[in-house]
Amino acid sequence: MSKDTKSKKRKKGSLGERRKKFAWLVPLASINLTLTLLSLSMILVFVATLEQVRIGIRGALAEYFESMFGIWYYPEQFWGGEFLNAIPIPIPGGYLLGGLLIINLTAAYITRFQWTGKKMGIQLIHLGIIMLLVGQLATQAMQEESRMQINKGESSNYIERFHGVELAFSDVTDPETQRVVTIPQEIIEEGGTIRTADLPFKIQVKHFGVNCDFTVSPEGSTPAGLVKDVNRGVGQTANLSISEKEEDFSSEGLNFGYLIFELFDGTNSLGTWLTLAHPGGNHWWKESPKLSDLAFQPIRHEGKLWGVTLRSEREYLPYSIELLDVENEFYQGTEIPFNFESDIVLNLEGNQSRRALVYMNTPLRHGGKTFYQYQMNAAANYTVFQVIRNPSWLVPYIACVLVSIGLLWQFSFHLIRFLRKNSNSAQAA
Amino acid sequence: MNEENPKKSVKGKIVLWALVLLGVYFAFLPNRFATSSILDFAKGEPAPPTDSFDLEGFSRIPVLRGGRVKPIDSVARNALLVLRNKRTALDEAGNKIPAINWFAEVLFNPEVGDKLKTFLIDHDQVLGLLGKKLSVDGKFFSYQDLEPHLSEIDASAREAGKVEQEKRDSFDQNIIELYRSALLYRKIKATLSPPDPQLSPEMAEQLQVADVLFDPEKDKDLTAEYVRFRELTKELSSRPEDIRMGSADFAKVVFFLDHYSRMNIWSEFFAIPPEKSDPKKQWRSIGESLVGKEPLDSKEKQKMDPSRFASTLQELVSMEPDALAARLLQIRENQKMDPTVLFASQYAEAIKLRREVDPVLGLYEKLKASYQDQDYSTFNQTVAELRMVGTERAGDDASTLEFEKIYNGFEPFYRSSIAYVLIFLIAGVSWLAATYSTTLGRKGETARLLRNAAYILTAIVLLSHTFGLAGRMYIEGRPPVTNLYSSALFIGWGAVLLCFFTEKYLRLGVASAMGSLVGFGSLVIAHNLSLDSSLNPTGDTMEMMRAVLDSNFWLATHVVIITIGYSTTFLAGFLGIAYVCHKLVLSLFGGTTKYGPKLMGTEKDAQRILGAMIYGITCFSLFFSLVGTVLGGIWADQSWGRFWGWDAKENGALLIVIWNAILLHARWSGTAKIRGISAIAIFGNVVTAWSWFGTNMLGVGLHSYGFMDKAFNPLMYFILSQLIFIGIAYLPSFKSKPTIKASA
Repeated sequence: MSKDTKSKKRKKGSLGERRKKFAWLVPLASINLTLTLLSLSMILVFVATLEQVRIGIRGALAEYFESMFGIWYYPEQFWGGEFLNAIPIPIPGGYLLGGLLIINLTAAYITRFQWTGKKMGIQLIHLGIIMLLVGQLATQAMQEESRMQINKGESSNYIERFHGVELAFSDVTDPETQRVVTIPQEIIEEGGTIRTADLPFKIQVKHFGVNCDFTVSPEGSTPAGLVKDVNRGVGQTANLSISEKEEDFSSEGLNFGYLIFELFDGTNSLGTWLTLAHPGGNHWWKESPKLSDLAFQPIRHEGKLWGVTLRSEREYLPYSIELLDVENEFYQGTEIPFNFESDIVLNLEGNQSRRALVYMNTPLRHGGKTFYQYQMNAAANYTVFQVIRNPSWLVPYIACVLVSIGLLWQFSFHLIRFLRKNSNSAQAA
Repeated sequence: MNEENPKKSVKGKIVLWALVLLGVYFAFLPNRFATSSILDFAKGEPAPPTDSFDLEGFSRIPVLRGGRVKPIDSVARNALLVLRNKRTALDEAGNKIPAINWFAEVLFNPEVGDKLKTFLIDHDQVLGLLGKKLSVDGKFFSYQDLEPHLSEIDASAREAGKVEQEKRDSFDQNIIELYRSALLYRKIKATLSPPDPQLSPEMAEQLQVADVLFDPEKDKDLTAEYVRFRELTKELSSRPEDIRMGSADFAKVVFFLDHYSRMNIWSEFFAIPPEKSDPKKQWRSIGESLVGKEPLDSKEKQKMDPSRFASTLQELVSMEPDALAARLLQIRENQKMDPTVLFASQYAEAIKLRREVDPVLGLYEKLKASYQDQDYSTFNQTVAELRMVGTERAGDDASTLEFEKIYNGFEPFYRSSIAYVLIFLIAGVSWLAATYSTTLGRKGETARLLRNAAYILTAIVLLSHTFGLAGRMYIEGRPPVTNLYSSALFIGWGAVLLCFFTEKYLRLGVASAMGSLVGFGSLVIAHNLSLDSSLNPTGDTMEMMRAVLDSNFWLATHVVIITIGYSTTFLAGFLGIAYVCHKLVLSLFGGTTKYGPKLMGTEKDAQRILGAMIYGITCFSLFFSLVGTVLGGIWADQSWGRFWGWDAKENGALLIVIWNAILLHARWSGTAKIRGISAIAIFGNVVTAWSWFGTNMLGVGLHSYGFMDKAFNPLMYFILSQLIFIGIAYLPSFKSKPTIKASA
């Protein structure tokens, strides 16, 4: 009994000391703040889930989770939507709430938690939660998602971003060595005239959009609208007409970025081109065979042959993946797939290679990247991997271990107490 | 336990045992709610009768539908579930017909089968289309009733199909459903009795196919035609030079090949078991057994180049069988975009490689003929042969057949739901008894007895509920939760199990009552889910798993744990409702009746106990939902390389975790007392219902495997009802001060 009170005093003493030392943290550690933040995160998560219907998962990520504030409009199709839709409602974003929760938890850790064996479970759980939050913030900031599309029998050594394009000029004068100059979307978006020492001409951006609707007009019709100035390349020969469209963030959405640009050699115009980006990696044959030239529009200048194309932003890898075979099996007599499988060879530097099967729940991991089976078309013999690079992947695992130990600790503590109490009462009876 | 009162306890024991027996009767014994009982599992199959059809045996013949080998019994029941929302059909007089009897009539004796009431139509406008009235004609109709209106149904459904799914009104949905039902029925009918080629005599003359075609005068059954077709192909494969445009024999073969290929479309299940040597265990329809499977949709045939088709086919048929088989594989691998070559490969296989008519075809023909002739002994003998061949050729896939047949009739969940009602009633009466004796100031002997009965009954129903889940696991070879339907079964089970243990330590009848309520509710939800045709198009709740979910390890860990999290959160919410109801009763009667003060005396106790229960169960909820969510993250990292993707279903689980955390923190900090805790717990029901059903309605994300829109209104009503309960909790008369005064 006396021992107990003594230890209690000592504990209290240490906590009191910390409270004194970090007095400024005490208000931040308030449990009411925790409750408020948790309630706000309920709203955030709910709204962001609803919004996925409208703007897709990536749109919701950008608007709500990877921001300090998001603005939400009550959906029109819900009850009373006509009136409520007009009111902008600010929703606290993921970075704001996540950051505040981390501060709140850390402060509570220092000024409110008793660092004793009895409460160790609670501490471990909260430490794990802090790690989960920090890990998720880090992931949100560092994780990159891309795709890789490979045709059967071919190999690929680059991955493409889901969003974001680049204008690529490749000098193919010498078939042995190909030189590529790329201009990323950020620079194109700034507009104006782009100069670079690597290119013998200047590029003037006339129109750029991340998505568009395009149609092949009948031959002989005069170009109008956005494309009326285009006088060179596929834009002219295929009679393409284009109308602007908002970027589609949904997972099935296809974004056809377009760019109309004029090339200048000094003040001398070389012509105006239209270029379109295919979200599926220049698979224009599906839309129209005429458009397949968009993958490479030739420009002859000063005795050199350049090819220009607008394509999804690429990252080249120090290794390549070759697709041997794709398999897409269904349960007999149903449309329920039971297997998507890509049979691949990973060609590493130094002529090393290894064979691998990529299928559901079994991705390929190499060089810090995870390649998982994303889409496939067995009839057209190609496969698409989603490629994810997440340097902070280990953090959630550590967090999980901490939380699990904490939970077990706390539970066994309660269980033992409960059983002891029960056996006591049984004896009494 | 009743040492002071031995006399009373004898009477009490009799009541107790009577109630327990009643529970066992509902849960396990033969009764009018199910066609088989626990005894049938032990007894095994009865000997085939000699003076009637052996439908017991017939129902055990293995077939493949929806990707799974199952007894014909399951196909019959599931089809009726889709068509009529029941497991029985009705005859013209309105008497119930068991599924298997109905199925036999439809398959073998369509003239009779078409007259049985098979279709549920309860939409007044759809009925109007058929010229029927709900009040006059009822809501169940036979195929014969529909037949004259098929073209109208077809046209209206086509029109409705053009409307986007979200914008379809109730007529659109109902007419599309009716169209699908009619199609399903016609396909079932045609599965074993291929439709006639519909040849006019002149056409038959021109094509010179009359000598091969089935002749009802001369031939015993259709197998005669099949055999003649085989002879024809044999002959043709010995003379490949005759494979050319304009050759009479070639035209004949093409005619039959097209005809048999068409039969594949009109086949609802696969009746021909895999050939023994087939490593892929490919089941076949009658058409496939004769001429193989079409490599592409038959519409693609229009894109073929006829002369190249003939020349390719000729070249293929001239090859040696082994070389041909290898070449066919190669074609299917490398020339996927070339319909001419692909169809040529199917035809070459049919002509050259398929030499014999499968004996199973003959057996089914014999079955049909003997059924029509009421020849019991031939029918029963053929059934036995078919079962033998089927189970032998199906191998391991047929090992659960016998069990599944009896399990189907046992209806464990229907039995359990009835027993849950019984428990709820007993618990409810126990409260009345307790209140009655409290107001009289007596000891509540009756109440105690009833609580014990409810407790023991909970154990019994848990057994039958568990048996139901275990049976599904055995048949499917999967962990308990594989789809939305089974998650409902499991949520009820988890809640009842937890209540059973709670009741073990707190014998108040509260946990029994709330457990049986959640158990019953979840089984009703499960039943309605099984009727939802958008979720469950084949009527089989044991559907195959999509590739992405096909991982028993993660299904057994993440999915099971997260579902327990749902179930405990619901349970806490229902205890919150119990608190609100208790308070409501007290505030309505406590002040007015002369026993009011005595009733009020019980209030504090009840509050304390309910508060403790909600707290304890929420601790479990937080544990399970947190662990389940984290495991889900690990699964996602393992298979997609990311721990958390803000997917709709992931977010739903996160909401439950956060909400449970809010409840616990609000209690620990003292921000919320019992009323606040109950209100938070009740709102937990809303959160859980959202993440269970609501997220699926969004139709976004990786988990949207259970899309459904029919549940939208029920979900809204549920949420509304929960908000009303929360509102009641905050009524001014609920403030704790006046009641404390009253009791003081």
